[in-house]
Formats: sequence, structure tokens, C-alpha cells
Amino acid sequence: MSGSGQSHALKRRETVTAYLFMLPALCFFAAFVVLPMIMGIVTSLFNYTMKNPVSKETFIGLQNYVDLFHDATFKRSMLNTLILVVVTVPSVTMFSLWVSSVIYKMRPGWCSFFRCVFYLPVVTGTVAVVVVWRWMFDGYSGILNYLLKAVGIIDKNIRFLGDTRFAIWCIITIMFTTYVGQPIVLYVAALGNVDQSLVEAAQVDGANKMQVFWRIKWPQIMPTTLYIVVITTINTFQCFSLIQLLTSGGPSGSTNTVMYYLYQNAFSLYKYGYANSMGVILAIVIAVLSAIQFKVMSKDVSY
Amino acid sequence: MSEVIIKGLKKVYEGGVTAVHDVNLDIADKEFIVLVGPSGCGKSTTLRMVAGLEDITDGELYIDGKLCNNVEPKDRDIAMVFQSYALYPHMTVYDNMAFALKLKKVPKPEIDKKVREVAEILDITQYLDRKPKALSGGQRQRVAIGRAMVRDPKVFLMDEPLSNLDAKLRNQMRAEIIKLRSRINTTFMYVTHDQTEAMTLGDRIVIMKDGFVNQIGTPGEVFDKPVNLFVAGFIGMPVMNFFDNCKLILDDGVYYAQIRGARFKLDEFQQKALKQNGQQSCDIVAGIRPQHISVGQGDLEAKIVVNEMMGSEVHLHADSNGDEVVMVIPTVDLKTDVSMGATVKFSTQPKLIQLFDKASGNNLIWYDKASADACAPVCKNYIF
Ligand SMILES: Nc1ncnc2c1ncn2[C@@H]1O[C@H](COP(=O)(O)OP(=O)(O)O)[C@@H](O)[C@H]1O
Ligand SMILES: [Mg+2]
Repeated sequence: MSGSGQSHALKRRETVTAYLFMLPALCFFAAFVVLPMIMGIVTSLFNYTMKNPVSKETFIGLQNYVDLFHDATFKRSMLNTLILVVVTVPSVTMFSLWVSSVIYKMRPGWCSFFRCVFYLPVVTGTVAVVVVWRWMFDGYSGILNYLLKAVGIIDKNIRFLGDTRFAIWCIITIMFTTYVGQPIVLYVAALGNVDQSLVEAAQVDGANKMQVFWRIKWPQIMPTTLYIVVITTINTFQCFSLIQLLTSGGPSGSTNTVMYYLYQNAFSLYKYGYANSMGVILAIVIAVLSAIQFKVMSKDVSY
Repeated sequence: MSEVIIKGLKKVYEGGVTAVHDVNLDIADKEFIVLVGPSGCGKSTTLRMVAGLEDITDGELYIDGKLCNNVEPKDRDIAMVFQSYALYPHMTVYDNMAFALKLKKVPKPEIDKKVREVAEILDITQYLDRKPKALSGGQRQRVAIGRAMVRDPKVFLMDEPLSNLDAKLRNQMRAEIIKLRSRINTTFMYVTHDQTEAMTLGDRIVIMKDGFVNQIGTPGEVFDKPVNLFVAGFIGMPVMNFFDNCKLILDDGVYYAQIRGARFKLDEFQQKALKQNGQQSCDIVAGIRPQHISVGQGDLEAKIVVNEMMGSEVHLHADSNGDEVVMVIPTVDLKTDVSMGATVKFSTQPKLIQLFDKASGNNLIWYDKASADACAPVCKNYIF
């Protein structure tokens, strides 16, 4: 009796201590994540602009959301965003898986070298990366035009960033190069962690290289794949600086994304309420997509 | 038909570690070979080279008459049970067992029949739908064996399959493997560091040390005719007693073993063998198995330090003027006082004394001839 009572008290004391240790982090979380989130949701129900503060008079219920669904620019940006996601997420995942599966078996020196190469754009910073790509895509003196002409694929310069057909693909290209770094690092680690004896067991069981990869290694690295798919999806949805720096959403809205349109509404047009309603929609879309990804892929993860 | 022939097998790992120096082994069809030796002696490496999981640095490996040095593991038609079991965690027990057959594109009904049949034998039918995580150690062990069994492989390799089990389960599984063996008509290579497993399972035992084979022989041979000090000390429980600084004396054409205060006139076959070798008097290490000592009379004397009553026999740890001596005496033969602190006289039969050259550690009689002279009259009646 006294024993269990004692352990009860002990447990409570431990719980209290644990929360005390977490307190600073919890405060930060509350102040900078939870509070803004709630404020975002609340203000999205108001016609909140530079001139109109949040008050009883500016409360408009779900009007912002209704407006959104009639806003052609918003719909266009949502479509663009989905295109980015649909193209970027699979290509980033597959490419990084491919590269990792080639380099993880190399000697440590070479493996590190390739990891560095692919990780470089991640640490370089978007501004520097975009400056370089701008120059490559440049319509007058860009190296891409130069090369395409040299090979004979085109005979007239293309203004890649100024052409509605090409601009979004430029964005996708840059996104791709900056997004594969992290997945490659993760995949190399995951592949290196696959229990070698499973691979050997499969080889002895008669599996060739492909079968070993898809039937043994692939299920083993599924948690990593799931993580990569989810973070790449989120990163793509939230991509902002790239667009701001490269095209500002143009030409004629062909690279406008939800995130960028949100930024414009909030900080150029000062329509805070409207922008926040976009933020809420974006959050819901991301949450739903991630949930679906989790659901679908963790079928194979659960062992 | 699937004999395995290993010729001059050698393995140098990247970084220069030579794990296996020179292994030669002819394994007959359907033979059960056990590789045994202390940890790090190269048993697993040898097995893995047979499986094709390690490149062969030098030497030749023939499976079923075919040179297999450069054949991929998947094409060798071998099955292997790993020490860690290596069950595929994302597959059910059923799929684990069916995996190899699916890869071979065996028709589904046939796979099903085979898997259920093997599961029945191993008593794991009720776990077929479970993932390996939900099984106990012993059950995983069975699944690992079952996965190998469904395949009818040419060679069945096992790397310390029982070492992760507790003592009781280990004994049980050992018995099961003996039973299985009669059902699976194939060649076995079994790796263990446990001499009891080796003695009970093997048709022949390969005793390895530091990447070299020390002796190959039946359990009886390696027990009765150890070629050197290492084999003598490794095989047998409790460990053989060694008396250092003894003498082999050749006196007037007759050989004697001088062990401390006692002089033993050696047996006929020992006399003959030593004479054949032209053996002169020399320093030896004498080895006597604990089971081969009798107490009550004799020229040797020891003070009992520990007395362990095991039921049918009693294990005595004694001090004989500085030599530690272990004796195993059947309780029924016990007529002397062997309580702790008592002093007893003890002796042995000369034919049971193993004579090791002090300088080389090799058995003066059995070294290099262990297999050649199979019918020497040594304690054939000893029961393992
Ligand atoms: N992959 C490896 N690389 C380098 N050395 C190894 C490797 N595997 C084993 N060894 C070395 O080879 C020797 C034999 O190992 P192993 O065959 O596993 O021994 P055993 O199975 O008899 O315990 C040991 O000294 C071990 O350290
Ligand atoms: Mg081993």
C-alpha cells in the first residue's frame, strides 16, 4: 500500500519536473505558434485591413472564404501550387532515392562528396541560388539559351522567365535542385541503416539486385520516404522566396502561388483578413494531404 | 547429390585481416558438418564464403561438382539460417517462408502447400499471419528454419542458430534439429562455438582456431584422439586436465609417462605408435579427461577443494600439489571420502592419457594421423 502511494508521489514529482523542463519551449510554442495560429483563424473572419481594425463592425463571418472561391487569381495560384506539388514531390523523391541508392555504397569519401554537391544549394541560401539561375535563364545572355542554340534545338533566344509557358518550369527546376539535398542525405542514412542480414537473407533466398531493393530495402526505408514526401509537399506549398526573387508571380500570374498571393494581399494590399483566410485554406490543404500521405504510406511502415 | 568441396579457402578482409587462412574440407552428400571454434576463429567467414556473401580471396569452392567461386548467392541454391534470424520484418510469417518460392515463380497452390506443410512440421501454423515482431525468440527461430526448409536447397547453412536462445530452449531446439535432419535430406553446414552442440549434431566436426582448421573428425575421433592441446582443451566438458612439465621416458625400449610422482607404463597401441615415430624421451604435457580419473587408489594425490554433487555423478575440483584437477566420478563407483578438505589418491588408465609434445603442443600419437588410423582401441565405449 505504502509502496504504491510512494511511487504515485514519485511519478507526480517526475511529471512536474518534466513539465518544468519543457516550460521554456512550451512558452515559445504558445507565444509564436499557437497564438498566431488562433489569431490567424480569428482575423480571417473579419474585414481586417490597414484602415479597418478588428472590431464588431468589421466582422463578416465566412465572407472572406466565399470571396476566395470567386477570386480567379486565387484559383489560378492554387492550381499553380498544385502543379508544383504534383511535379516536384514525386520527382524529388524518386531522384533522391536513385542518387542515394547509387552513392550510399561508394567509399565514404565519394559518398560525402556527392552528398555535399547535392546539399550545397540547400546551404547556399535562396538569394545566391536565384542569382545564378537568373543568369542561366536570362533571355539575352543566359547560358541556357547559348547552349540550346549551340546544339541547334532553338534558333531564337527564349525569355524563359518572361514566357508563360516556361516560367513555372524554371521555378520547378530551381525548386528541384534545392529540394533534393536533404532527401539525399536522409536516404543515404536510411539505406545505410538497412539491416545487412536482411539483404543477405534475400540474396540467399534467390533475389536479384532489383528484387532486393524493391522487396527488402524499399519497405525498410518507407518511414524515410514518408517523411521526405511530407516535408517536400509542405516545403513546396510554402515556397515563397524563390518566386518573390525570380518572377514575383508573373508573367501574368503564371507562377503565382497561394503563398505568394497571400503575401501580396497581406503586405502589398494590406488585406490582412483576406490573406489570413488564404492561410487557413492552405493549412487545411496541407494537413489533409499530409494525412492522406501518412495513411497511404504507413500501411507499409507498420511492423 | 550435393557434396561441397573446399580447397585452400582463404579470406583476407579489406584492411588486411586474414580471417581464414587455409581451409580444406570435403563434405559428403547429406553429411552434417559442424564448424566449431572459439569466437573470431573464422567459422562465420567460412560459411559466408560458401553462401557467396563474402568474396573468396583464394582457393576453390565446389558445390555439387560445380566451381562456385564467382557464382552469385542467388544462383547457388543454398539456404541459410542466420544468427539474428534475419526475418523480413515487413512480411508475415507466411510471406517470409514463401519469399524464396515466390522469387522462383513456383505456382501459388504449390507454395501454399509447401509452406503449410513445413509450418506443420515446425508447429508454427497458428503464427502464419503474424509479423515476426509478434513472435518469441524460439518461434522466430522456427520461422527462420522454416524459411530455409521450404526450399529443398542443395546445402543448408546455419550460423549459430541457437545462440540467441536461453539454455532450455536451446536444448529443445537442438533435439528438434536432430529430428529435422532426418526429414530434410540435404547437406548441412552448421556453425557454433558450443562444443556440446557440435558433439551432438555433427556427423563430423571441424575444429577451427585463428583461421586454421585444427582437426576434422567424428565426435568420437575428436574426443578420443585430439591432435593437439587446443582441440583437447576445446572438446569435452568439463575441460581436460593438463599436467604441465611431465616426461615421456623411453627406458629399455619401453615408453612410460611420468606424471608427477606416478609412472605409467603406456598401452600397447601407444608403444607401437611412439616406436613407429622413433620418439625419444622428452618433455610433455599430459592430458587426462575428468571422466577418466578414478579415485581411491593410485600414486597421485589431491586435496578436494570443491565437491559438486550432480546426481548420477559428482564433480570434484581438487588441488594436487599445485595442479588443479577436475574429476568426474560416477556416484555408484564412489567408495572413498570425497568431502571437501579430504585427501584422496587418484589414478587413470595409461591408455587414456593424452601425450602432447611440450614444445609444439601436438599430440605425440594422434597428430596428423587422427583420421588415418581409425580403429585404434581407445575407450570406444565412452558415451557422449
Ligand atoms: N567484415 C569484416 N571486416 C574485417 N574483418 C572481419 C570482418 N568480419 C569478420 N572479421 C574478422 O575476421 C575474423 C573471423 O571472424 P568470423 O568469421 O566472424 O569469426 P567467428 O564466426 O568464428 O566468430 C575475426 O577476427 C573478425 O574480427
Ligand atoms: Mg560468427
